[in-house]
Amino acid sequence: MHKIQSFPEYQVPGAQHQDFSPYESNGGSIVAIAGEDYVVIAADTRLSSGYTIHTRKQNKLFQLSEKTVLGSTGCWCDTLALTSLVNARMQMYEHLHLKTMSTEAVAQMLSILMYNRRFFPYYVSNVLAGLDSEGKGVVYSYDPIGHCERTTYRAGGSAGTLLQPVLDNQIGGKDRDVKNKPKVPLEKAKEVAKDAFISAAERDIYTGDSVILKVITKDGITEEEVQLRKD
Amino acid sequence: MFLTRAEYDRGVNTFSPEGRLFQVEYAIEAIKLGSTAIGICTSSGVVLAAEKRSTSELMVSSSVEKIVQVDRHIGCVTSGLTADARTLIDRARVECQNYWFIYNEPMPIESCAQAVSAMAIQFGDSSDGGSAMSRPFGVAMLFAGINEGVPQLWHMDPSGTYVRYGAKAIGSGSEGAQQTLKDEYHKDMSLQEATKLAMSILKQVMEEKLESKNVEVLVMKPNEDFRMFSKEEVEREINAL
Repeated sequence: MHKIQSFPEYQVPGAQHQDFSPYESNGGSIVAIAGEDYVVIAADTRLSSGYTIHTRKQNKLFQLSEKTVLGSTGCWCDTLALTSLVNARMQMYEHLHLKTMSTEAVAQMLSILMYNRRFFPYYVSNVLAGLDSEGKGVVYSYDPIGHCERTTYRAGGSAGTLLQPVLDNQIGGKDRDVKNKPKVPLEKAKEVAKDAFISAAERDIYTGDSVILKVITKDGITEEEVQLRKD
Repeated sequence: MFLTRAEYDRGVNTFSPEGRLFQVEYAIEAIKLGSTAIGICTSSGVVLAAEKRSTSELMVSSSVEKIVQVDRHIGCVTSGLTADARTLIDRARVECQNYWFIYNEPMPIESCAQAVSAMAIQFGDSSDGGSAMSRPFGVAMLFAGINEGVPQLWHMDPSGTYVRYGAKAIGSGSEGAQQTLKDEYHKDMSLQEATKLAMSILKQVMEEKLESKNVEVLVMKPNEDFRMFSKEEVEREINAL
């Protein structure tokens, strides 16, 4: 018994110690491809936790304005907290400045909102798609602490590392002469996005069920859904 | 029994029985002691012209700043108490930088005027124990800027009211100047005509002789950053009158 006396109070045998684990990965993937006058953004609809699927029909695309859609995956509660904060800030902006936020403004604000949580980050993978002030398609991608990069195509989420090289090859033309980058027509962008998800669903257990695809053009936003593997 | 005006004009947070805040009205009067400034907005740009009063022959006139830069796309001219103006201009500059930092685009001119006016009406007793101004700011401001490619002119007074104008004069000569602007200004005048008009009105209302050392001119155009007229450019304008 005398040995127990030397133990610190919190290491007494039989005491249960609970780790603080505020994060969870709920999976999900996003693909966004921008063209001259359009942008396509797609996300799967599976929401899971380990081997458990919470739902097979969770939309992960958040329409922020007529020109801007945010795809957000990772820790789902953080996605909900972040997107509702973005929505509130956009509403406040509209009241204060009497106009809708441009895609570029949303992109910068999102970066700052995420960096504000530098030491307790939102555990999310964000891809922002929209039309810029000139009407061109644009994609912004983020790391969890708010680094923002403007690109023309990006994959993110649980199968991001599986999808990105497919886009590099099919959209970015990385295997070709740099001078002759092909312009990607809308139909091809949609097909590549769908095919990429079908392939990702084969390997990534956190991606599947179906994929929701939004196309943003000057005429508005259209949405379609394609079925994926459900196992 | 109603109290007289003399008692109601002491506090900044007491309305008179007729519903007036005398201190605010007096602050507006204070502007009329300031030197004259004129702003004219055209479809191709905004012009600001301001008189610089020198109280002494020994004063270095270039050290008096009437027109200042708020941001790359906004210029501002003030009339009234210069020291009060600095506080408001500092706020305008901070607000513009903050807007740019958060949204990565230039601040709308209206939002800038709104931000400054919010500060202008924070006089009286502060509820949060902060450092509120004990009296209204004795300053009127004209903001000239480019908003999404469109030239705009905004006016703000000590009551915190901000209104967009086609042409506006503030300061001691403002009454006469405003009358001339009303007669001469039309929406489709060219920027050259507007500059000339602003200069000629200044010439009329100024007590001193119009010279390059006692006038400042700013012309804001779409796709161009803030840049004030050089001494030579001002002289050319004066000689062209």
